[in-house]
Amino acid sequence: MVETARQRLVAAILVLLLAALPALASLLAMPDLISLGTQVAIYAIATVGLNLLIGTTGLPSFGHAAFFGLGGYVVGILAFHAAEDSAVFGLFPGATDAWIVWPLAIIIAALAALLIGALSLRTAGVSFIMITLAFAQMLFYLFAALKTYGGDDGLGFRRRNALPWVSPRDDVAFYYVCAAALLLVLAGFHLVARSRFGNVLQGIRQSERRMAAIGLRSYRYKLAAFTLAGGVAGLAGALQANMLRFVSPDMLHWTTSGDFMVMVVLGGTGTLFGPVLGAAAMVLLQTWLAQWTEHWMIVMGPLLVAVILLARRGLWGALAGK
Amino acid sequence: MTLLLEQVLNGLQYGVTLFLLAAGLTLVFGIMGLINLAHGSLYMIGAFVAARTQAATGSFLLAVPAGMAAAALTGMAVEATILRRLYARDHLDQVLATFGLILFFNEVMAMLFGRQPMMAPIPDFLSGSVTFIPGVPYPVYRLAIIAVGVLVAGGLYGLIVHTRVGMLVRAGATNRDMVRALGVRIGLLYTLVFGLGAMLAGLSGAMVGPLLSVQVGMGDRILISTFVVIVIGGLGSIRGALVGALLVGMIDTLTRAFLPGLLRGVMAAADADSIGAGLSSMAAMILMAVVLMVRPRGLFPAHG
Amino acid sequence: MTPILLAAEVTKRFGGLLACNGLSLAVRPGEIHALIGPNGAGKSTAIGLLSGEIAPDSGSIRFGGADVTRLGIAARVRTGLTRSFQITTILPQFTALQNVALVAQVRAGHSFHFWADAHRDAALVDPARAMLERVGLGKRAQVPAEDLAHGEQRQLELAMALMTGARMLLLDEPMAGLGATESQQMTAQLAALKGSLTVLLVEHDMDAVAALADQVSVMVAGRVIATGSFAEMQASQAVRDAYLGAHA
Repeated sequence: MVETARQRLVAAILVLLLAALPALASLLAMPDLISLGTQVAIYAIATVGLNLLIGTTGLPSFGHAAFFGLGGYVVGILAFHAAEDSAVFGLFPGATDAWIVWPLAIIIAALAALLIGALSLRTAGVSFIMITLAFAQMLFYLFAALKTYGGDDGLGFRRRNALPWVSPRDDVAFYYVCAAALLLVLAGFHLVARSRFGNVLQGIRQSERRMAAIGLRSYRYKLAAFTLAGGVAGLAGALQANMLRFVSPDMLHWTTSGDFMVMVVLGGTGTLFGPVLGAAAMVLLQTWLAQWTEHWMIVMGPLLVAVILLARRGLWGALAGK
Repeated sequence: MTLLLEQVLNGLQYGVTLFLLAAGLTLVFGIMGLINLAHGSLYMIGAFVAARTQAATGSFLLAVPAGMAAAALTGMAVEATILRRLYARDHLDQVLATFGLILFFNEVMAMLFGRQPMMAPIPDFLSGSVTFIPGVPYPVYRLAIIAVGVLVAGGLYGLIVHTRVGMLVRAGATNRDMVRALGVRIGLLYTLVFGLGAMLAGLSGAMVGPLLSVQVGMGDRILISTFVVIVIGGLGSIRGALVGALLVGMIDTLTRAFLPGLLRGVMAAADADSIGAGLSSMAAMILMAVVLMVRPRGLFPAHG
Repeated sequence: MTPILLAAEVTKRFGGLLACNGLSLAVRPGEIHALIGPNGAGKSTAIGLLSGEIAPDSGSIRFGGADVTRLGIAARVRTGLTRSFQITTILPQFTALQNVALVAQVRAGHSFHFWADAHRDAALVDPARAMLERVGLGKRAQVPAEDLAHGEQRQLELAMALMTGARMLLLDEPMAGLGATESQQMTAQLAALKGSLTVLLVEHDMDAVAALADQVSVMVAGRVIATGSFAEMQASQAVRDAYLGAHA
């Protein structure tokens, strides 16, 4: 994945850029770069997880936004109850400490992925695509109906989750938190890809039938990958909620799932740094096109079609070679 | 009881609308192996063009064919330029490229017709109600939709089972190379099949205009319900699409009508209404999950 | 000697076609047993039924004394009954070594190890390398499987099948598509397995069958009509009639 000298170079430049972005922002007097960079890092985290499914295992999940949104709502709902001093489902109190809320967001998203994956993975191919889509949309409707938590309008809260030594108001500090989370996730997935577990997933992508022929029961590994990816999406969702101090059903909307898939393919399916490039390209393109015209989707749509039809290798392949 | 009968008819009408969409989607998947997210866009195009034609000419009988033609032509143009390059690709590429098409078509409609919802009036000759079940006056227009759906279902069945084109369609679904070897211009056949599916989607959109508001993005939500329909019915099966559409139409309509009332018995009215609405949106998907647990390939799996 | 594999009255119907019609077969441990018969006799279906790829309509299959009739492919591989060839088991993007090491990994138990680099794990790589040496692919360990020559891919498959810890191999036409030299190499390699491993092979190449098989079963119209040595089968009038009858 990151093997040739050129690939190492591109990877090093990316990591360096990630670290130096705040300095760059003040140097260029472009403070917007901080929020853009934060958004890129968060999307990249979610996409790294999805890439494990699409790129490594060959599972085209169309419901990734569900776990992203769940992670976000864990943050939002706990903040809501903390502010109201009431109890969630009348059982336990709200919370605002990151060290409680974020792990909880990961766990709940992972549990939902375990459940949805257990059912969805009974199917394959197009059915799998549609079922993951439908389950995610089910959660979308659920949150849109929860009037207590804002329903369609979403749920705002006043303050980011508290972290030790980090001021919740400091946007640069929050950027560093997200960038550090991204680097941790990347390092983790780098190891996972080469582990026995990653080995099996790659085998499943190449041929599930052949894996059965050497004695492997693939279902449990696919389910584990699905759960892991869901948990990571939950972390990304928790960060997203913190960035905006707002959550809404849009986080779970199927177009968000579509955006994540686009980022995987745009960046380079199955590569470690592809998701970072895909997320960056998507965020920058949207920002740039939106400045240019209100009807930016009219460019984005055909661009996407062209990328799928013509550019198969993605940005990582274009920059770093195969 | 009379309320229940009325809602059953509503469910039937929604099911018919879904079937018109599901038939095209499942036909295209069964024959070309293409999963087309932009199918909902064709429905939206049919609805917009019909509503605008009706507003301009005042004629519903002109509006429906105009909507169908717009959807069919758009569909065939997209098939010939873009989608046919995707037949040999994996489903992920198909999903993403047609996702791009949705973004494009939604924006085109917004630029052409604005983002304000439009309402089309019910034509005079189909307005009013009839009382064919004692005590249940029912809108003529909705009955007309049901009748059109029944006619289309019958027509499709006749086309696929009894005609030469239908035979080619069935043969093409199981063995593309054989059909090619017979000297059939398979590219043309595919374009025509795609056009047929698009036309049905346009018909569906044109007919719902007087019942729902016509607006950008209207195709997206019904697309997902259509997916649920064809997964329940079994991918590629027209019969499955029919059964799935009727099941989803019924369960969606009935839960929407009665669930809030039932919930009010156990919780506050406002909560009951919102949770009832949420649950009824989810009902069809829960049905799908149950079907897949019992039969992972749907109720009527197509051959192969 | 009790048979290691015992199929009793196994029947499989595909729509109107009776592919296996009360197939009964006994294979003794350590022997190379050839299944021959005219085209369409149901030999491939028989291999599919024995490997667990196809579920029988009726009848029973016992392996090593246990009933495996209801087990799937993966579960049968774990009991030591492995199919190879015709459904190729190699993963094209992995190197030869990675392919065999992956089998060693699956055999070593569950794969829920998330951190350690599997490609540098001596517990997997060393036995895989040894197995590649054994089948004569030692020098090609680092070549991606898709770039191996046809005959080499067969050798790799054999290495993978052996690496599953198989007690018995089901081989579907191991010589098909091989040139004369490659065929001889493969015959020698299979002959070297004799005694340490039980083999059931479907094969059209009668030279290979004559050279390898301890026992030959003749299958006609979905069932075994005779079993014996190759010479006995050659001499049997019933076998000749069946072969000729099926061809006529």
